[in-house]
Amino acid sequence: MARSTPSAPASIAHGRHWISLIVAWQVLVGVGLMAAAFGLPMQLQAGSWSPVLLWGAVALLAAGALASLYAAFALWRRRSAGRIAAVLVDYLVAVLGGLLALHWLGVFLGLNALADTFGAGLPWLLVVFVGYLINAAGDRFEGTAREALFRRAGDLVMLAGLLAFLFFIDTLGGLGWLAGRLIAEPLTAGLVAVVVVCALVVRLSWSRTVAEALHASHMQDELLSGYLFLSPNLLGFLLFFAGPLLLSLYISTTTNVPGGGDAFVGLDNYIRVVEFTVQPLVSADQPAREAFDVSRYSESFRAFGYIVGVRSPRFWIALRNTLQFVALAVPLSVIPALVLATVLNSKLPGMAFYRAIYFIPSIAAVVGIALVWRWMYDSTIGWINYFVTVAADALGLSDPRIQWLNLPSTALLAVVIMSAWQTTGFNSVLFLAGLQNVPGELYEAATVDGAGPVARFFRITLPLLAPTTFFVVSTTIIQALQVFEQVYILTNPPGAPADSTLTLVLYLYQEGFNLFDFGFASAVAWVLFAVIFAFTLVQFQRNRQSSVYES
Amino acid sequence: MSYRLTRWLGNGLVYAVLTFFAIIMIFPFLVMVSTSLKEPADSYSYPPRLLPREIATVAVAGYDEPLPLYTVPTEAGPRELALVGTGTRIGVYVLPDDPTTSYERSLRDVDAAGGALNQETVLFEGVEEKLWAFEVDGRIVKGVLREQLALGEFVDPADPSAEPIQFDTRRAEPVAMLTAHPENYARVTELGGLDRSLTNTALVTLLVVIGQLVTSVLGGYAFARLRFPGRDSLFLVYLGTIMIPFVVLIIPLYRLMVMIGWVDNLAALVLPWIFTAYGTFLMRQFFITIPKELEEAALIDGASRLEILRRIFIPASVPALATQATFTFLYAWNSFIWPLIVINTANESNHVLTLSLSILRGRATDAPNLVLAGAAISVLPPLIVFLFAQRFYIESVTSSGVKG
Repeated sequence: MARSTPSAPASIAHGRHWISLIVAWQVLVGVGLMAAAFGLPMQLQAGSWSPVLLWGAVALLAAGALASLYAAFALWRRRSAGRIAAVLVDYLVAVLGGLLALHWLGVFLGLNALADTFGAGLPWLLVVFVGYLINAAGDRFEGTAREALFRRAGDLVMLAGLLAFLFFIDTLGGLGWLAGRLIAEPLTAGLVAVVVVCALVVRLSWSRTVAEALHASHMQDELLSGYLFLSPNLLGFLLFFAGPLLLSLYISTTTNVPGGGDAFVGLDNYIRVVEFTVQPLVSADQPAREAFDVSRYSESFRAFGYIVGVRSPRFWIALRNTLQFVALAVPLSVIPALVLATVLNSKLPGMAFYRAIYFIPSIAAVVGIALVWRWMYDSTIGWINYFVTVAADALGLSDPRIQWLNLPSTALLAVVIMSAWQTTGFNSVLFLAGLQNVPGELYEAATVDGAGPVARFFRITLPLLAPTTFFVVSTTIIQALQVFEQVYILTNPPGAPADSTLTLVLYLYQEGFNLFDFGFASAVAWVLFAVIFAFTLVQFQRNRQSSVYES
Repeated sequence: MSYRLTRWLGNGLVYAVLTFFAIIMIFPFLVMVSTSLKEPADSYSYPPRLLPREIATVAVAGYDEPLPLYTVPTEAGPRELALVGTGTRIGVYVLPDDPTTSYERSLRDVDAAGGALNQETVLFEGVEEKLWAFEVDGRIVKGVLREQLALGEFVDPADPSAEPIQFDTRRAEPVAMLTAHPENYARVTELGGLDRSLTNTALVTLLVVIGQLVTSVLGGYAFARLRFPGRDSLFLVYLGTIMIPFVVLIIPLYRLMVMIGWVDNLAALVLPWIFTAYGTFLMRQFFITIPKELEEAALIDGASRLEILRRIFIPASVPALATQATFTFLYAWNSFIWPLIVINTANESNHVLTLSLSILRGRATDAPNLVLAGAAISVLPPLIVFLFAQRFYIESVTSSGVKG
């Protein structure tokens, strides 16, 4: 569908001039990118970039060059597809070149310097906020002269606060420094110039004049706007999510080579993570070295006349601990949450207050929370043992002073209790939302039929709450499988005592960042992902079955 | 039982249960704040107490330092006296053949029976005890030491020139008074470099919140309102990525940071985090509920997409924006594992709060009051933000739960 609104002939003539300009620029960009594609492998010293990255960059530059030349050709023939190609190439050159220029200039690392002065500007940001509040207070006097007064005063305060903020964080100094860098580095300054021209060409290609001269369709405009609006997100997504995800798969198939670099080892890392062996035993106390190669496997456990040996014993310990943690923490968090939600669902005054209170543990930093609980778990003077002692005295039992974090048998339980405490309130709010969707007539009907409160809970509430329960349980499980911070702060050293609180993420962290075995740690990460995925899948299946059953 | 009474009891039960759980939820925070206001000795007292206390002191004329105040049960009734110093050390002795009468003697006036090198002993109540020689009514007797007392010298703060009273300090109760040591906060700030990490955390959080709002508003608008090829499959990919746990990305993202040279820099805490599939999804969900007529009218008037976004969509979605800002704020402020990995422990000028706290835990093991003051500093800003945004935030959590 061509754009049929005819404009003045002068504007079309204008459009033609602009298009010729864009054609010339695209030829220049195409040649430049081609030169860069050839120059890059020659400029770089061998080995300073990994080959995958180098050839990826070369391919990207070459593709950009071809696209730019195509854009020039298509625009010259007045095809509107050329507009898309030109916008795409110039936009990418502007953004990626801009990022590269900022990187060369050291602007990203300049954040550290900004942190030096940011503290001085922080109070002024509060002034900006106050200005916003004054502006918003105008809502109360809508339509009166006072509203305009509030709006103007608020805007003024905001502007003043912002200016003061910019002044006190030394924006001027930063800009001066930037200008100095640009003068000192002509190559970067040249890149900045190219970026600016590319941005202008994008703006120009976008313009209505050019669009009309090319008879571009509405759909094309919408396509361009769609990707333009999505692009900040999409670029970040590719750079910091999709790219690293693929990189992770690659890393998990490599291993460190002494002296630097990676070597491809296929699935070896995965095999190292999960490999185990089962051998029959002649007698129950037969030494492990007679059953299998002890330089490869370590004994995990023996049962029913068999001995089980594993390649990575700590992985299995971590897996067992993590599953134990999930098995304990999830019910301990979900069941009280359900009870609380049913109680909160009574339509009495003050429920919003309680709801807010229950929410508080989930918003505080796990690190801060864990420090408090660490202190409360202290075995001699901690609050928890104090309550245990008081309760034991009241029941006439002997004083069971529990060595919470110091014993392998209780340390994981301590982590479980803290985590359950932190997630219960959040989950109860979720349950409450589900409960408020259960129609009240059902309860009335059941009450008329003579069902007691317990029967009503099990016959009506639970089945109708199934979707919410599914959501709550699966998110709690997924979070629990990734437990790390709680253990890292509560136990000292993390995972102590005797690896009884070693979780999968902690294991991954230790393998990756204490031993720097990135390949192996990535394999562990993917195994953990497989576990999480399996849990989610099972949950989905069960949810589907139960909902089929209900209908 | 009447209906009214039953209902009244039922409601009472509801409030009792809710209050009980509310206390459980709040209690650790109370412990945190109260311990952070205590002095070190008080934080180690058992049984633990919530309110910070310390021994009362009193300024007495003639002494440079304020003196601790004790309640001394004298013959004339209990008196509040100031402890000047340690007095004589007293031993309580009994004779082996007459354990009912005891004699109090200053340790200086007692000698080892038979000499210090070869002290005599006696079997007393089944235990072999040393014998000590002391004087009773002018003659030397040999007895067993039952207990030792340290006598304190007490003066009346009102009359310091009078002769000090000697009294067993263990039978004198220190006068405890409620106190608060807010200077703990200043001390921990200095000790752990918390002022710098507070600034860093604020800067990082602010940039992440603004960045996420900008990218997810733009992306959400594209997904909600613009038709372009590949939109729906891209959206599905975005949805799928929400399921992928962050731990899978830790190592490659770290390698990427090494490659770009951002390790140990605040940039690594900001830039990877300003693109969010989840936030984009949330904004898209909100934007599709906004009626189309509004923007169509504006489009016909020749407004650009950006203008429409600024003039129509953003004002209409203040609650959604507030929710997302709160989510992001909490996430960025509380994040720990990524800073732990990407910021070197030694480089304190680029630490964020959570990192400083985890280091403080190891550095100030003997000062729980300081560690918990640090924890309180880290918990307070999220709490304030939550109190402001509580309504939006809880509503949004509940609605996402229902949809899930």
